[in-house]
Amino acid sequence: MSASPRPDARLKLEGSATFGMDLEAPGMLWAALVPSPVAHGRLSSVDLSPARSLEGVVAIGAADLSRLLPGAGDPDRPLFPSETVSFRGQPVAAVAAPSRELARQAARAVRVEVESLPVVSDLEDVFPEWPGPSADASPHVAAHVRARDGDVEAVFRTAETVVRETYRTSSVHQVAIEPHACLAELVDGEWRVRTSTQTPFGTREDIASLLGVPEASVVVEGTWVGGGFGGKGSALLEPYALLLAKATGRPVKLALGYREEFLLGRTTLPSVIRMETAVTQGRIVARRVRLLLDVGNSLPGRDFATGYSIGFLLGPYRTPAFEVEGYAVRTNKPPFGPHRAPFAPQCCFVLESHLDHVAREAGLDPEKFRAEHLWNEGDRTALGQAVGSFGLATAFEKARAIAARWRAEAKPDHGVGVAVGFWSTGTGAGGEVRLLLSPAGLTVVQGEREIGSGSVLSGVAAVAARCTGLPREKVTVVYENTGRAPFDSGVFGSRTTAALGRAVQEASCSLFGELRKRLDSPGLVHLAVVDGEVVAETDARQRPVRELLTDLERATGGIVASGRHYGKGGTIDERKVEVGTFYPYTDFTGAAHAAEVSVDRATGSVRVVRYAAVHDVGTVIDPTTASAQVEGGVVMGLGTALTEEALWSNDGRLLNAGLLDYRIPTLGTVPPIEVTFVEGFAGAGPFGAKGLGEPPIIPVPAAVAIAVREATGAHVTELPLSSERVTRALKLL
Amino acid sequence: MPPPLALTVNGERRLLDDVPDSERLLDTIRWRLGLKGTKEGCRSGECGACTVLVDDRSTLSCLTLAHEVDGSTVTTIEGVARDPVGRTVQEMFARAGALQCGYCTPGFVLALVGLLKERGRAAPTEELLADLSGNLCRCTGYLSIARAVAMLPREGP
Repeated sequence: MSASPRPDARLKLEGSATFGMDLEAPGMLWAALVPSPVAHGRLSSVDLSPARSLEGVVAIGAADLSRLLPGAGDPDRPLFPSETVSFRGQPVAAVAAPSRELARQAARAVRVEVESLPVVSDLEDVFPEWPGPSADASPHVAAHVRARDGDVEAVFRTAETVVRETYRTSSVHQVAIEPHACLAELVDGEWRVRTSTQTPFGTREDIASLLGVPEASVVVEGTWVGGGFGGKGSALLEPYALLLAKATGRPVKLALGYREEFLLGRTTLPSVIRMETAVTQGRIVARRVRLLLDVGNSLPGRDFATGYSIGFLLGPYRTPAFEVEGYAVRTNKPPFGPHRAPFAPQCCFVLESHLDHVAREAGLDPEKFRAEHLWNEGDRTALGQAVGSFGLATAFEKARAIAARWRAEAKPDHGVGVAVGFWSTGTGAGGEVRLLLSPAGLTVVQGEREIGSGSVLSGVAAVAARCTGLPREKVTVVYENTGRAPFDSGVFGSRTTAALGRAVQEASCSLFGELRKRLDSPGLVHLAVVDGEVVAETDARQRPVRELLTDLERATGGIVASGRHYGKGGTIDERKVEVGTFYPYTDFTGAAHAAEVSVDRATGSVRVVRYAAVHDVGTVIDPTTASAQVEGGVVMGLGTALTEEALWSNDGRLLNAGLLDYRIPTLGTVPPIEVTFVEGFAGAGPFGAKGLGEPPIIPVPAAVAIAVREATGAHVTELPLSSERVTRALKLL
Repeated sequence: MPPPLALTVNGERRLLDDVPDSERLLDTIRWRLGLKGTKEGCRSGECGACTVLVDDRSTLSCLTLAHEVDGSTVTTIEGVARDPVGRTVQEMFARAGALQCGYCTPGFVLALVGLLKERGRAAPTEELLADLSGNLCRCTGYLSIARAVAMLPREGP
């Protein structure tokens, strides 16, 4: 397909797109949250009177909830804790005031008295040794998963080479440039909120459950989103703003400051990972994987990350005998949150670095060793799911060819690394669209805001154009709020173009069925544009759509057709699962990346000189935004690889909550990136497309780490590869 | 209260009463003048999203007090197309697809227009890119922005 410009470019370049931060309403109050001053403690008192004594200020805390919300909220997730605070910054009260300055002043005036309790900041303080059989009873265990197959112990005993290593990864933040922000109003008993969100419907569900009100009484309207990356995937500020709207009878705006954003914006937290691999005659014969994942103040039993992450630690490799176990560990940090391909880049770094190391220890060629174990279609995952159409082996070959070319040219202090990663196109609960065919063109009505990836405005439009045969400029994708749009579960999991695109396909079939009826033609019908007007054609005749409309349709705009897509994953072999939940994949999406780095041996500083990303995407739906996703994802991954690390003190304080101390990539540090797409291995999306929002970040830290090892011999087993860590690894040589 | 504040914003003369001494130019532009195209990001001079032109110089409006620039000319994204250089920069960003979520975009456009005014259109691309490094973008990976800069016509005022 040919390249099309972004439909939202003009609007954003002229400054007329309204984001959550920009929301304003007549008579609006500004809100602020009152943070817990400690990471763990027993609340003695939250005295709101100093705030309430300020003119125009309304303050609410735990004691006000039953008055404001007779239906009560979710007892597992109280909006304000009444007894114990569990992380620094946890809201214990909220205030609203006529100005933003006064709201902040009022929040500071609230007197919070807390009796400090011991803080658990580091998961290795909870489990200095691997958790024993009694760990499940620990209040620090949020989730526990275990699976196995084969007599792993026996295979390890008799293997030729056994490699055991421990890896550690750090906390990374999404760093969307727009902080969380929303504007809430209570109108005729309806809880209305405009908000910067990736999931209008998911946020509606969260709000209903947190406030204990019927879902039908909540309307969420998405604004333009100034970056999501997983951080805007569920309700965060909306319930507080709505409660204050109820308490004041006024519209209430709540926007985070950037330091609060770092603390409350839901980060990926640290992990400790133990990898053990047994090799005999060049073949992996058994693997053992153990994961301890810090999930902060996440709720027990509601953790998705552990079971899913284990899959990425096993990786896209054939594994005959294995034993995997993981714990989600609760600490006094904010709740764990999804960050573009949640935890997969970290897992990929650990797995690829480990297998590279295993091959070296066994005297094998590391790339060849990995290539020989890669899944192909028809193989099974360790947990027994049949691998579907998968282009990773092809992508790996292409990336290796690029790496070979670079190695031939590379300077002596340079190194080239290649890494592979995999992903699966998300489904969420599902999605629906409504098509409206009018004489002027086709409108796709749906419930997602474009968050920047292009998946809605470019991706869905491209699919609709391809399904109907109309040119792109005759297709418009329209957003409606949760009260008017058909359901969709959200922009996450690389699912949007795939899921909404499949719904568009179904809707198109139904639209063409209707057109055949109206043209009284059992044969093929095409849509075309004649003199700017949409016409329907059969082999025999041509009729303007205008003439096919009923009177009612002339009034409402056109012929309506609906489509839905509720996809699901494959099945895993539950006999291998001993504890907890593991998740099947919808499809198999692969990426192979090559990085060339130069390393300053004196300082340990790593510079990425050039980069190549080869992606198995099934079918490219929109070439412009597809390449843009890869470039953006790779650069975000370079941050995870080299500089990004949120630092937590022993008392649960976030030490670098700002963009000067938490370093994301800047224009000056970005290498040239060569993007290649492998097509023809079909995935779960329309025309065999696979999700592409998340995969580009996945192999980046691994490719960089392997390149650093090639350049210097330094084997770094922690993320990020900061100068300090690289220097330490160089000293061990 | 200090005396009224006089600003020429996007070509229009504005007299503003009751602006507190402590008010940031960012808030004056966004909440008093309603020009929300100027974005609030970190509010501490680290991200560049709030960049505007003050007397044609690229300026972080979050670190500037409104009264500091009393009497000045301010250009925001809403007015940048009044200037041929601004129009060209917008056009190159659109053509290069140099934006995704669009939140950092106004800041990048204004910062680049400011640089071109300071150094002239013939300034080397590398130099312009180095000086744009203070503006953060989390979506694009910057390469499309670099392509937009490289596409700029190097002639003209």
